[in-house]
Order: sequence, then C-alpha cells, then structure tokens
Amino acid sequence: MEIRKILLVDDDKPISSYLEKKFTKLGYTVYVAEDGEDAIKQVFANLPDIILLDVKIPRISGIEVCKRIKKDEKTKNIPVLMLSAKAQTFEINEGLQAGADKYLCKPISFPDILHEIRAYERM
Amino acid sequence: MLKTIYNKFINLGILPKLLISYLILSIIPLIIVGYIANKNLSDTGLQSVRRAEEMANENLRAAEEIGKTSIADSVQALDRKSTEAIELRTVELASRIADFLYERDRDILILASFDPDHARYFDVYLRSNRDVIITKAGKGAPGNKGKAGELQPKNPENKEAWRHLPPPDFSRVSKPLYIEITFVDLRGQEKIKVVDGKISHKLADVSRKENTYCKAEDYFSHLKYLKKGEIHVSRVIGAYVKGWLYKTPEGIKVKPESAYAGKENPHGKKFEGIVRWATPVYDGNGEKTGYVTMALDHTHIMEFTDHVVPTEERLAVLSDGGSGNYAFIWDNNDRCISHARDFFICGFDPKTGKEVPGWISQKTYGEYTRSGLTLEEFVRKLPSFRNFTQEKPGSIEQMKAGTVPLDCRVLDTAPQCQGWHEGTQYGGSGSFLILWSGLWKLTTYAAIPYYTGPYGKSKRGFGYVTVGANVDDFHKDANITKAKIENSILEEGKGILEANNKTRELISERAAYNRKLITIISLLAGLSVICISVVISFNLTGPLRRLTEGAVAMSKGDLEQAIEVKSKDEIGQLAQSFNEMAKAISIVDKMKSEFVTIASHELRTPIQAMMLGVSGILEGYSGKIDEEVREDLELAKMGIERLMRLVANLLDLSRIEAQKIELNTSHTSVAEIIDRALAEVSDLAHSHRHAIVKDIPADIDGIMVDKDRIIQVMINLLSNSIKYTPDEGKIIVKAGRREKEILFTVADNGYGIPDWAKDEIFKKFFQADSIMSQKVGGSGLGLTITKSLVERHGGYIQCESPVPEEVFSDLPLGGERKGAIFVIHLPVSGISEV
Repeated sequence: MEIRKILLVDDDKPISSYLEKKFTKLGYTVYVAEDGEDAIKQVFANLPDIILLDVKIPRISGIEVCKRIKKDEKTKNIPVLMLSAKAQTFEINEGLQAGADKYLCKPISFPDILHEIRAYERM
Repeated sequence: MLKTIYNKFINLGILPKLLISYLILSIIPLIIVGYIANKNLSDTGLQSVRRAEEMANENLRAAEEIGKTSIADSVQALDRKSTEAIELRTVELASRIADFLYERDRDILILASFDPDHARYFDVYLRSNRDVIITKAGKGAPGNKGKAGELQPKNPENKEAWRHLPPPDFSRVSKPLYIEITFVDLRGQEKIKVVDGKISHKLADVSRKENTYCKAEDYFSHLKYLKKGEIHVSRVIGAYVKGWLYKTPEGIKVKPESAYAGKENPHGKKFEGIVRWATPVYDGNGEKTGYVTMALDHTHIMEFTDHVVPTEERLAVLSDGGSGNYAFIWDNNDRCISHARDFFICGFDPKTGKEVPGWISQKTYGEYTRSGLTLEEFVRKLPSFRNFTQEKPGSIEQMKAGTVPLDCRVLDTAPQCQGWHEGTQYGGSGSFLILWSGLWKLTTYAAIPYYTGPYGKSKRGFGYVTVGANVDDFHKDANITKAKIENSILEEGKGILEANNKTRELISERAAYNRKLITIISLLAGLSVICISVVISFNLTGPLRRLTEGAVAMSKGDLEQAIEVKSKDEIGQLAQSFNEMAKAISIVDKMKSEFVTIASHELRTPIQAMMLGVSGILEGYSGKIDEEVREDLELAKMGIERLMRLVANLLDLSRIEAQKIELNTSHTSVAEIIDRALAEVSDLAHSHRHAIVKDIPADIDGIMVDKDRIIQVMINLLSNSIKYTPDEGKIIVKAGRREKEILFTVADNGYGIPDWAKDEIFKKFFQADSIMSQKVGGSGLGLTITKSLVERHGGYIQCESPVPEEVFSDLPLGGERKGAIFVIHLPVSGISEV
C-alpha cells in the first residue's frame, strides 16, 4: 500500500512540528492534530494513510481516539501507530486492546519511527 | 539440661507457653497447698486423736491406779476394821467364857462352904440353869438375818446410813448347867450324887477311872493336894463322836451318820462333855471331910462359840463348818473343845477311857505305821508342832475311821495351830492371815483368861478362842466396787477406743473428701486455666496472626491492609499502629508509584525530543554533517540512551519493588532463554572482542518462568560480565539441573568483585567504582532488578569472586583477571504462588 498522508497527533508541539518538517521533507503529506477531538475530525476529513497517535493528549485520550477510528468502517483499516511515554505493560496492553496496530514507546529515534512507517509501505 | 528445657519452651507458641506457665503457676501450687493443707489437717487430726487416746488411756490408767489404790486402801481399811472387830469379838468371847468359868468357881466355893447335904445339892442343881439355843423342830434355821429397810426412822435426819437389825429370833431352852453334883469322901467314894435331875444312889468310887465319866476322869488324884479354897478344874471330857468327810463337786461334805456338824449335819449326834470342878469341904473343926464336885455340861461352853458367825449374820442357830466362818475353842493343851463339826472335838473312847489320838498328816501317819507303837502311844510321844504345813494332807486312814479329833500339837497339816499356840503363850489376843484351801482366811485368837487350878499353869489360861473368817467376805463391798470400777474402766476403755476409731474414720473420711474436693478444684482450675489460656491466647494470637497475615500481604504488595481491632490492650494498640502504618505506607507507596510514573513519563518526553533531534541529524535527515559533528552527536546519543535505560530501569524497579509486576509464566526452553539473551548482547560482546562459550546440556528440561523477565535477567548478567571484563576476555554461559532447580551460571575472567562489595552490588545505584562505571556505562540498577526478578520467581542469586582456578579449567585467570561467577537458582516448576 502506498503511504502518502500521515496524521500526527501529539500535544507536544516541538515533537509534532519536528516530525511534520522531516516527513514533509521526505515527501509525505502531513496533518497535525493537537488534541483528540481535532484528531478525530481530521481522520474523517482527510482519511490519512497512517496515523501516529500519542496516548496522552487533551480532550479525548489517544485510546478513545483509536477506538473510534477502529470502530468506523471508513477508517478502521488505517494503521494506527501508538506513540507514548507510557511504557508500562498494562498501558501497552490498553493501547493494543483499543485497536492500535503498533505501540511504540517513547523515546524512539526518528530513523526507528520512519522504519515502522516504511514497514507498512512495503505491505 | 535447664537450658534445653528453656530453649524448647521459648520455641513454643503462645498458647502452650501460657498453658504451661499457668499450670505451673496456679495448679501445681494449688495442688501442693491442698495436699499440704489436707495432710496437715489429717495429721493434726490423727495426732489429736492419738493425744486424746493417750490422755484417755492415761486417765484410764490413772483411774485404774486410783481404783486399785483406793480399793486396796479400802480393802486394807475394811480388813483392818473387820480384823479389829473380829479380834474384839474373839477377846469378848474369851472374856465371857472366862467370866462364865469364874462364875463356876464361885458356884463350887459357895457349895463347898455348906455342909454336904442332898437337898442343898439338889437345890443347887435345879437352880443352876442356862439357856441354850436349839433348832426348832422341822423349821430349819430361822437365823437372825437382819433385813435392812424393814424398820425406817421417822425423822428423815436419821435416815443417812440407817441400820437396824431385829433381835435374834432363836429358840432357846433352859438347860441345867451341871450334869452332876457330887460329894466325894477323902477316899474317893461318892457320898452324895445329883445327876440327871435326881438324887442318885448309884454311888461310885471315883478314885477308879472306870467309875468316872467316859471312864476318863482322873480328877480324884488331884484333889488330895488341894488346900481350902483351892479348886481343881478338869479338862473337857466326853465321848468322841466320829465323823466322815467326803469330797463332792460342790465341795467337802459331811456324811449324815457323822457327829453333829451344824448346817452340814444338823441331825448328827452331838459331843457331850463335861468339865468338872472340885474343891475340898471342911467341917466346923476345920477338918477336910471330902470334896464337892460339879460337872459342868460342856454344851454351855460350846454354846459360846457354836452360834457365832464372824460375818454380817453375827449369830446363827447352826454354824457352817464348811463356810470357814466360825469360832472354835481350844483348851490349854491346844486340844479342840468346841467346833462347828463335833467330830473335830477331842474326846475319849468311853469303852476304854482312852483319849482318841489326834488327826495327823498322812506323812506322819506313815511314820506311825513304821513305829510299831499304838497310835495313842505314837501320838502321845510325837513332838509338838513339828513340821507344820498345810501342804501335807491329812491321813486317810484316820478319815476312813472317822476319828479325826483336832489336837493342835500334832495336827501338822494346819500351820495356823502353831500360830495360835505361839500367839496365846503369854495370853492376850491377836490375828493373822493364812491361805487356807486357796482362800485367804483371817484367823483371830484370844486366850481365855481363866487361871483356876491346872489352868493357872500358863498365861494361856483355860485355852483360847479362835475365830476364822474368809477375808474376802470382809471386803465384799470393796470387791464389788472394785469389779464395778474395773468394769467401768473396761467399758470406758472400749468407749474411748470406739470414739477414737470413729474420730479416726471421720478424719480419714474428711481427708478423702478433702482430697476429692482438691482434685475437683484442681481439675476445675486446670480446666478454667486452659479455657482462659485458650481465650487469652486467641485474643493475643488472633490479632497477631491477622497482623502477620497483613504484614505478609503487604510484603507481597497488597498494601491495603486493615486489621480488625476490638481490644484496647497492647495488642489492640499494636494492631491500631499497624493499621496506621499500613495506611501511611499505602499512601506513600501510591505517591511513590505516581511519582515514578509521572517522572518517567515526564522524563521521556524531553528525552524523546533529544532522541528525535540527535538521531535525525546522525542519520542525515537534517543535511550532511561532517565527521567531527557526528562524533559529538554520537556522544550525545549515548548519553540519551543511557538516560533512557535509567528511566526504564527506574520504572521497572519501582514496579518490581511494589510487587506490581505480574509474572507471565510459561514453559520455556532453557536454551531459548540463553540464546535470546546472547543475541541481545552479541554486538556488545563483539565490540569488546570477548569470547562467549555456551555450555547447555542437550537434554535439559524446560522451566516455568516469565520468559522475557528471565531473558532480561540473563542479559543483565551477561552485560555486566561483558562490561566488567577487560577486552578479549572470556565469558562462559552454563545451564544445568540440580535436583528441583535449574542453575544458570555466568562466569567471566574479568576484574572480579572485592569481598566488601559482594552484598553491595545488589543494592541500588551501586557500581564497582565510578571510573569503571564511566567506562562501562551501567545504570547501577541492573543487579538490583536481576536479584528482585529472580527472587520473584522463587529463586536466588549467588556470586563468587575471584573464581577458583579449579572450577573452570578453560578460563584463563591471572593479573587483573580475577573473574566472577554469578549463579541463578530457579525452581523447575516455577514459583508456587504463596
């Protein structure tokens, strides 16, 4: 599958803007949401090819966002890569149960994130 | 010994401790006290009984002694009084007899003063009478038994010890005093003779014995020497009357054909004797013309003693020779002249005029039979009072012949004869006791102070009166009292014995009852002690157990502990404190967990930013960089990575310590664990150019563990070995089974661990030294986490350094390569959840 549109959901501005800059530079179309509500809006509005979703975000948590995405027919096939500083097993399990395709623990290097996204490109 | 007991005791639980302590402190003293009290009680009781018994016996003995003494005194007093009374009576009798005899002297002197005349002599004969007691025909013996109580005093003040005896009611007849009154001329020819109540004309020549009474009188031969006023008095002369005694079971009896013997033979022939008085008669010129004689009927002399009874009876119609209570008269030559048994009175054979020889002992009789003499001759020649003893029996021959007159001089079977003879030799009176036929007999004697004619030759006078009395009869009352006392003492003794036995029984009953009571009390006390101990123990140990359970639960991570507290004692306070502590710990723990979570999350975010930036630059996503920048960024990246591990480890550790990690155990291959761990560290090992040797038996079992965690453990150990071993070192990884454990061993020839640090290395943030940690870049948490994880699996970790050379032959050691071995012991079947 071809990945062109990436939705970045993170309330940590420096990180989201760094990633936006780098992905854009690499040729991806990047959407950025800073809270859960915005994230859901953008998912349905832009239908991204992959979503990098932080768990700890304002308004609606990443877990809830993921659940909604995976609940909807239109969006359920969009790979959701959860990216969180919450690295405890129960937190990881919570994320995976909410339907996340991958749970990535912060801190993670940019090459590693890119590597994960590219893994979906090759599928 | 004591120490062993003490050690055993302190190892016991609280309940047994309490039980033993209470039992020792309460029941044993109780039992001891009870036992002592009971023993003292019964001892004291028994002692009292013994004392009482002793005292009672003492009293009895005293009473007995007093009784004996007083009875003895009474007996003695009574005996003395009786003796005195009887002696007095004897003396009176003797005196009265003497008076009576002297009266006869007067009679004959008066008669001698008259001219001999038939009428006068007859008149004297008729007027000379004296009463004698006779047995009423067909009426037996009325006696004079004084019946006390027949006559009572009118004045009550005279009542005390009142005695009255009615006058003797005896039948009496008047009997002539003299059997014969005669006048005999100087040649011996009777001239006047009054006899049998008439004037006799059968006048005889009394100078010839054969013409005299019983052919036995020889008085005439004495008369020619008499001066005026002098009197000759003959001995008692009478025909001997035979008598026979025989033994029966009831005692000695008298044959009825025998002579009169009072009660024993009232119808027998009586001894009839005379005593003749004679004195010369002178005419108006003073010329002796002849002699007047008067033959006194001896009955009148015998009458003095025949009715005398030396007992309360005083007098009796018929005396009782068998009773031993009677009076005798003996003449001046110790011949019996008055006796209850007339056959004992000495007499003559009226046919020959010869005296019947006295009764002698069988032994003496034997002498006689060998002597060749006639018995008369033998007895006459027999020395007086030779070998007298009552041990000798009387001669049977004489008894058979019925000729047993008592002649004291030869009656060698009767020692009392000698006593009387000696006692009367100077006149007077007396008494002594003699054991006669098994009975103590009192015998009194009194000389009859009549000294006329031949009787004046000795102080013994006419002879003597003896009275015999059974001593026991005197003190009959005392003996009755004695028997009463003895009986009452016996009864008293029995009573005391009975009472003491009863008391003893009572005491032992009491003691038994007390023992039962003590046993019951002890049992009840023991039961209550056990109950109390159990209750206290449960009160004590219940909360303690709950506390322990709470503490164990807390140690496993369940900090929400609250012990139910009811009591307010020390245990209650402890539980209260525990609850407060648990609450505090719980709060602190929550805070800590929250802090760690927050901290790690908050740390990760900036690290993420650094990581993204540095990694992006290094990989060229921010444009081309030169080599120097790359090197600098590499350094920054290393720092970031180390920070990342630190954060991760911190989080891990906090969760392990809080027991918050859950083990996801599964059956895992030992080889897989080691392979995956080795894969993780291979790059690191390679960079240090270490050689890693794997030694895993092909047939090793699988193990129940949380695979990821144990892999992490192995990674930690391997990383440490890699880091703390100088480059080009050797690391050996081994696995093996020992009993129920799987042993994972990681050995290296690295720097080793100094002794002091062997425990420290498992503590947080410890590193062998700071320079080394710079070199190797550890977080200081790896071994702490390793140890926690191993322990969480129910295993343990051991460490040894330096490595002994003999353990691994292929591990080069020496210099700074001291080496270290870490061994992890894990149970094969995994942790059994407690």
